[in-house]
Amino acid sequence: MTTYTETTLQRDWESLAQRRDAVRLRRNALLTTLFGGVGLLTTLLVFALIAIIAYRGAPTLSWEFLTQPPREGMSAGGVWPMIRGSLLLMLGTFLLATPLGIFGGVCLAEYGERSRIMRFMHASVAALAGTPPIVYGLFGLAIFVLKFKLGVSLLAGWLTLTLFCVPSIVLTTEAALKTVPAALIDGGLALGLSRWQTLWRIALPYALPGILTGIILSLGRAVGEATPVLFTASIYYTTAETTLGWETLRQPVANLPYYLAEGYRQPGVVPERLIWGACLTLILLTLLLNAGAILIRSRTRRRYLW
Amino acid sequence: MVAAMTLPKQKVAMETVELSVSYNGKPALKRVSLAFPANAVTALIGPSGCGKSTLLRCLNRMNDRIPGVEITGKVMLNGEDIYARRVNLTRLRREVGMVFQKPNPFPMSIFENVALGPRLHYGLRGRALQEVVEDALRKAALWDEVKDELHKSGLALSGGQQQRLCIARMLAVQPRILLMDEPCSALDPISTQKIEELIVELGKQYTVIVVTHNLQQAARISHYTGFLMYGELVEWGETRQVFENPTRPETEDYIRGRFG
Repeated sequence: MTTYTETTLQRDWESLAQRRDAVRLRRNALLTTLFGGVGLLTTLLVFALIAIIAYRGAPTLSWEFLTQPPREGMSAGGVWPMIRGSLLLMLGTFLLATPLGIFGGVCLAEYGERSRIMRFMHASVAALAGTPPIVYGLFGLAIFVLKFKLGVSLLAGWLTLTLFCVPSIVLTTEAALKTVPAALIDGGLALGLSRWQTLWRIALPYALPGILTGIILSLGRAVGEATPVLFTASIYYTTAETTLGWETLRQPVANLPYYLAEGYRQPGVVPERLIWGACLTLILLTLLLNAGAILIRSRTRRRYLW
Repeated sequence: MVAAMTLPKQKVAMETVELSVSYNGKPALKRVSLAFPANAVTALIGPSGCGKSTLLRCLNRMNDRIPGVEITGKVMLNGEDIYARRVNLTRLRREVGMVFQKPNPFPMSIFENVALGPRLHYGLRGRALQEVVEDALRKAALWDEVKDELHKSGLALSGGQQQRLCIARMLAVQPRILLMDEPCSALDPISTQKIEELIVELGKQYTVIVVTHNLQQAARISHYTGFLMYGELVEWGETRQVFENPTRPETEDYIRGRFG
């Protein structure tokens, strides 16, 4: 134990503090500049990217471009079949991945902490969510296209994209459910609700905005990826797909990312302005989805304000 | 400390028999035997960590969920031990309602907050459901304040109103026994006074068990008081007697403010 007296405690507290204050203020200014600068740089980069694509693509963008099929051997006309294909892929993926993803998220959130198997599952799902999309594409080719003999088709594309989306939906659902205050769960149980009723009536509605946001963001990522559908669902262009029916499921579909990749690889066939136009269309599609996610989030936040 | 503390001439609503609770081997409640008189308000008092909330949460088995908890002894309700195997928790909690320290309305409308229980438990809908909701809100002294905005979010109410909403939500399930875990400790004095008046009113129809750290509150609202310390039931009796003429020195010290 140290011994001290009144006199050893005598110090000029104010000047000591002033020296520290000076250092602190300098450091604060430095870090503010640093982080602010990096933030600004990132924002500028993103905006520059969008601005360049908008600048190049905007002249092409027209009602006709969005609603007409390509003409004259892909060298003119619009990209409607690609938009339709992307929307079809997205719709089916949404319908398949949503229940699976929510179910998985509920499982992990409800049983996750106690069981070792569930902890292992969580780690696996997290790893899957970080797996490169091309791996899903090859897996889809091996299993759905070849093994299950679905062929390169919309159906195989749905299944592959579903696999691609489910892990991230599981993780966001789990995270959203973990934000449900324990007091609400206790309240439900104290009313005599079963665990399932508490989950269904109280926890899920509370977590819904977070879950929906996760689903939309995941779909937005999926719709922009070329590689999962590269070998499983894509066709550059076909004239035989003007009608929608059951047979559509077994046929390949044109889609925006694949069109971009292929179109760019065949210089001289597809004029550059069409590529830029399709690029802008794809970006607008994903931006629209993200805007929807933000809207849902802010609206329900307000409603659920504690 | 005290083997069994029952009072003569009083109908018993619920009774603990040698009830002990430990969390991860650390005892929180030691062999507490206590009979709660029916249609009266019983207050549980004692210093922080004395086990009064633990005791309360044993009465509707809300402690079950806590990891590492171990419960021995019995809690008798209608001649049955609620800790016996194959007890229907839903049925137990329908009969024994609970209100928490911090108001916890569900993120839904005022009406839905109260309607949820009767709808799920009794399948009520339409007119019948509306009647039950109105009745519960009236009993919780909230009806006049919210009757024109039943569709509004329960979270938009003030803290005191939220707590009364939680009380209405509990009453709508038609319980006989009401557990309240420091129901006023998160509220301002005026809201506290309203809840206290409400508890006195409810005590005429229901068996009310209130945990409180506020001694004056216990004295104001309860007919019976149990005093716990270090997980043991030290004193138990009519509130007036416990406060004015306690049998044990620890009680006397606590009530006079010498510790705690």
